Amino acid sequence: MFGVNWWGLVLPFAYLAVLVGSLITFSSMYRKRIAAKSANLAPWFPPHLQRNIYLSLLHLEPGEGKEKSPAVSDSILRAALLRRAVEDIRRIIEVRTAKQACSTLLQRGSIGDDLWQRFLRAEKEMEEELRDVVMEANALAPNWGQTIFQSANEIAAGTTFRTRLDEIQAQTDSEKAWWEKRRASIQSEFMKEIDTEANSTGKASKVVSDEDAVLVETANNTGSLRKKKAKK
Amino acid sequence: MEDPETFTLLDLHMDPTSKAITSSSNSRTLQEELKALNHLHKSLLNLESPVPPPPIPVNPKRSANITKLRESGNGEFRKGKHAEAIKFYTLGLQMALTRPPWEPSGLIRDEVSGLYANRAQAHMAMSNWVEGSVDAEASVEAKKVGNAKAWWRKGKCLMEMGRLEEAKEWVGRGLEMEGNEADLVGLLKDIEGKSGKA
Repeated sequence: MFGVNWWGLVLPFAYLAVLVGSLITFSSMYRKRIAAKSANLAPWFPPHLQRNIYLSLLHLEPGEGKEKSPAVSDSILRAALLRRAVEDIRRIIEVRTAKQACSTLLQRGSIGDDLWQRFLRAEKEMEEELRDVVMEANALAPNWGQTIFQSANEIAAGTTFRTRLDEIQAQTDSEKAWWEKRRASIQSEFMKEIDTEANSTGKASKVVSDEDAVLVETANNTGSLRKKKAKK
Repeated sequence: MEDPETFTLLDLHMDPTSKAITSSSNSRTLQEELKALNHLHKSLLNLESPVPPPPIPVNPKRSANITKLRESGNGEFRKGKHAEAIKFYTLGLQMALTRPPWEPSGLIRDEVSGLYANRAQAHMAMSNWVEGSVDAEASVEAKKVGNAKAWWRKGKCLMEMGRLEEAKEWVGRGLEMEGNEADLVGLLKDIEGKSGKA
């Protein structure tokens, strides 16, 4: 049949092998570098304090000298898990609100790819975290996993609302101080006005003794007030 | 956040008798968080069930109490005993705000907005414009839409204190929320009339 000259094909094959090999090396190295870079990206959220507390309580070691483990009671674990769920709710709300803005900014090129990568990772982590909390909740009390996030949601909303109310009520004192001052100044101004009015009328009349002047002033006061009212 | 598989071990201790969790660390956020945790733990211990019940249905006892306090406050207000009315409203507010945290926040907002609005009215009847304005603002914070009375009351208080610019801005915002509420429009005219004169 066809006499294939294998020796003549060595060169093209070698060429192909080198080409494919270098492409593979390049792509694998490139991917590794990207992965390393994204692994080094700063996390989106700060450390999850509530989660750390919960897990630390789970792993609470017996104190030195004591043989018996202090056996953290379930109620504390439940409270700690609830606190963790509340923090998760806060983070989820943050992720959801940031998502729209982030994707728009990314499309416009206003933010870099790094930030987007960090964001996606935070989103994925939150999903895992939620799943984990539901599993833990079910382990602590039957069927709690279905309602823990409802409760946590109300707690989160209620807490922000209460702090806002406290802020508003805290203004009372400073506002009150301001109003007292303001009222005093208004009053003194009013008195001055009356005084000047009284003086001008007093000077117009003939000079009288001090006691008489007071009498005249008061008489004038009521008179001027009545006049003002009548004008209205 | 850290890797899902790892966590930072914190130095925590439990008091064997009170079961309170403490830490020797001096990080302020940690201490605050532990305080919140212990507080929540205590309120959880008062429950019959091991875990907080779902937000709905609500325990009707407290709601009934709050309604009762508001009614008695309204009664005192009608009789002209404003100070007594304020006392009742304050008690009602305390009761509404100390509901267990996992109860529906929408319900709390509803109750609180009504109570604050009524207390603002009682304060205004006593010419305590500052308290009236703060309470009306709190009421608006609790319920922004469908709360024209509270918008009006704060606007009125600001006007009485002579803060016409603020009053105008506030009533303008109220009109944005409430649509063309007749009372608010009237108040805005009053304010504009006053500032025109001044």
